Amino acid sequence: MLKALEGVQTQCVARQDKGTTGHVWSVFLAPGQVVKAAGKLYEAEYSLEDIFALDFEEGFLVLYHFNRWLVDERVVLRVLVPKNNPVVPSIAGIFQGAEWHERETRDFHGVRFEGNPNLVPLLMPVETADLFPLVKSDKVRASIKTLLNLGEVVSCTKAIEELFAEAEAGEASEA
Amino acid sequence: MSAFVQQLLVLIVAAVAAMIWLGINALVWVYCERKFAGHIQRRPGPFEVGPHGALQPLIDGLKLMGKQLLTPDNADAILYWLAPILSMLPVLLLFLPIPYGPVLTGMDVNLGLLLILAFSSFNGLAVLLAGWSSNNKWGLLGAARAVSQTVAYEIPLLLVVLAVTFMTGTLSLTEITNMQAGHIGNWFIWKQPLAFLIFLVAMFGETNRAPFDLAEAESELTAGFHTEYSSMGFGLFFMAEYGYMVVMCSVCSVLFLGGYHGPFPGVDGWWWMLLKTFALLSFMVWVRWTYPRVRFDQLLNINWKWLLPLATFNLLATALILKL
Amino acid sequence: MSAYQNSEQMKGDFYTQKFEAGKRDGTLILNMGPQHPSTHGVLRIVVELDGEYVVRAEPVLGYLHRMHEKMGETQTWGGFIPNMGRVDYGHPMAWNWAYCGAVEKLMGIEVPERAELLRVIMTELNRLTSHLLWWGAYILDLGAFTPIMYAFDDREMLLDILQRPTASRLTYSNFRVGGLQMDVDDKCIEMIKAFIPHFRKRLPMYKDLVTDNLILRRRIEDIGIIDQDMCRRYGCTGPVLRGAGVAYDVRRAEPYSVYDRFDFEIPTQTSACSAGRYLVRVAEMEQSMRIIEQAIEMLPSAQGGYIVDKAPKPAMKPPVGEAYFCVEGGRGKVGVYVVSDGSKTPYRVKLRAPGFSNLSAFAEAATGTLIADAVAILGSLDLIIPEIDR
Repeated sequence: MLKALEGVQTQCVARQDKGTTGHVWSVFLAPGQVVKAAGKLYEAEYSLEDIFALDFEEGFLVLYHFNRWLVDERVVLRVLVPKNNPVVPSIAGIFQGAEWHERETRDFHGVRFEGNPNLVPLLMPVETADLFPLVKSDKVRASIKTLLNLGEVVSCTKAIEELFAEAEAGEASEA
Repeated sequence: MSAFVQQLLVLIVAAVAAMIWLGINALVWVYCERKFAGHIQRRPGPFEVGPHGALQPLIDGLKLMGKQLLTPDNADAILYWLAPILSMLPVLLLFLPIPYGPVLTGMDVNLGLLLILAFSSFNGLAVLLAGWSSNNKWGLLGAARAVSQTVAYEIPLLLVVLAVTFMTGTLSLTEITNMQAGHIGNWFIWKQPLAFLIFLVAMFGETNRAPFDLAEAESELTAGFHTEYSSMGFGLFFMAEYGYMVVMCSVCSVLFLGGYHGPFPGVDGWWWMLLKTFALLSFMVWVRWTYPRVRFDQLLNINWKWLLPLATFNLLATALILKL
Repeated sequence: MSAYQNSEQMKGDFYTQKFEAGKRDGTLILNMGPQHPSTHGVLRIVVELDGEYVVRAEPVLGYLHRMHEKMGETQTWGGFIPNMGRVDYGHPMAWNWAYCGAVEKLMGIEVPERAELLRVIMTELNRLTSHLLWWGAYILDLGAFTPIMYAFDDREMLLDILQRPTASRLTYSNFRVGGLQMDVDDKCIEMIKAFIPHFRKRLPMYKDLVTDNLILRRRIEDIGIIDQDMCRRYGCTGPVLRGAGVAYDVRRAEPYSVYDRFDFEIPTQTSACSAGRYLVRVAEMEQSMRIIEQAIEMLPSAQGGYIVDKAPKPAMKPPVGEAYFCVEGGRGKVGVYVVSDGSKTPYRVKLRAPGFSNLSAFAEAATGTLIADAVAILGSLDLIIPEIDR
């Protein structure tokens, strides 16, 4: 997997415990790198499983699941986009199946996918297209660090480390 | 003058009888088809109304008549309602020249076969009108399919009928029947086996029956040409379909299976004609509930690439043998 | 006001108008569905027809959308299980399993051996009902009315069997986090043992009656090519992918539960057409029976009960974290991703429906075919609309 993503500027690459999370690799990316990463994964014979978003205090975390047919090595690409301008480039040019997944994510969270050939409501009716049902209220919204675990870090930029660092410190103090 | 009045009376009686016969046939065959289908599919079929569900078709007919007659928006109302009538009326005429028994012939015309073949083509026109005038895209597709299908299948049908008439030298159905008198060996099916098979296949194409029911093609075109028809508009198409089936099967038994003649001498009678027609009808029902539907290009390929050359060959071979 | 309003001047709804913008001259735009006999529910496909040839096609979804993912965020962890029975009426047990498996992963629960074997038996029986339902309905799409009655004849027996340990006949939700709702009784095992030889006798009849039928073969062979590259681009899985020649089955590729103990084959076809997908599914029925037979043999000596001791209550609180779990459903890879914030309700439940990805390949596969072929392709994808719309 690491070889496949060579040349892509990752923010953080971490190995995760497959037994508890189902992911093998977790990769944080800047929005601008998604298309490049998807292209590399396509060349490495990965196929797209799904795309969806999570609503966190820090913004929308868009998740891409990829897996290979012959070797079971699930990769999850994570792209953090700010709430006020949630824009991610579309990968529908590489994985055509992404078109629908991206439309669905737009319906549920309002994340816009730039370059999607047909970014109109898929599951939600057009009349209520801007309802975004899965956007959480401030009361229940959590931050990334409290819910997700970074895993066994291979390489990481400072920005992502900071996202999680506090949590570990906090947990340590609680303990 | 009296001869003319007599002739007229016979004709009127025959027409009324044909109407009744058509009505009875539609009722009986709707029931038989549903019952056959049921048993083919390991279920009893209609069972609630009357003994073994025998009154079900009557109730269905009443239900159909009780429904509202609807004309869709922007439909050509005149043509829209003309279509089912145009589909139904010729059927009545078609029964007249068919000899059901030595005396049970509505009108013994010497061009009976031609009359049947000519008037049965009316159905294609009716279907076209229905699909076109109902201002529905499914209807339009169904109509386009129906026309190219009936036109195509009429040609091999005519060619095999022509082959038979080469042998008989007449177009009168009574005379054709009488030429097959005696015993089973005289039936034309032995002299024209290929023609019989072609007729059988073309019959399915002509009557729009599965596996050639492309004009209706439920799973593709919802209901094809009669998508918009409600009540007796649909009812008339439905009755006409059964009418055409009965006519085609009757013609087939006259041409190839000896009509009202029994398989051995001395037992001739209308019951043979009925038996043969019903056997052919049962065959059509059996096929419908067994095979998937063919695709449209395949349907036309079967006709133009197989039936037509074979029918032509059959015709030429018949002509050659007769000449020798 | 939404940004996607349709114009008052033009006819049709938003999707028709948008589709019409790219219309060529001399073509016909036709709305197949939402109510159409061969869209199995309420799928709508807008097609542009040139004669009877499909120039463009665009599926319009959402008519059966129930927002299961939102329901997941408002219900308790255990209370969401019945939803899983209703996502896919064809193979609900796979969804049950995917969800329970994901939660078990979060909570680190080890499911007892007996419960795992029972899950395998029931899921495989359910796979048979799913494939029989598809088989009958697909042949119905192709215009033959009788096979669905035969298929339902056998399916009825399966439903009678599954009714005993699940107390339902269609929307099963008998899985629990840590095992099952109840154990099977001896009568049920006997019925399964009697069913398998019966069904083995029926399969050759199906082959003679339907699969070998010339008309059927001509209708589905070389129609709707979805090759390996297309499968990868669209994320197709299940029989669609196996029909393209890739022996990918989640039961083998990512062995979960006790599937690594069974001896079974993964049927594949290299033709990548509708016939390939058809033959794969028919062959899978035999493999499912093999798995059931082996599982029933292992059952008496299996450890543990039908559910883990001290099974979590419906209002359980799984530890904070995320988990992705996928199983092989009747239509392909069924995946459930859950995030827990340590409370009684999930923070996020994402359902990955195999039919969603499979259907997305339809538009490309159907382009340039006849409308009758489009119906044949649609059927060969084995669509369950509630699963696609969720």
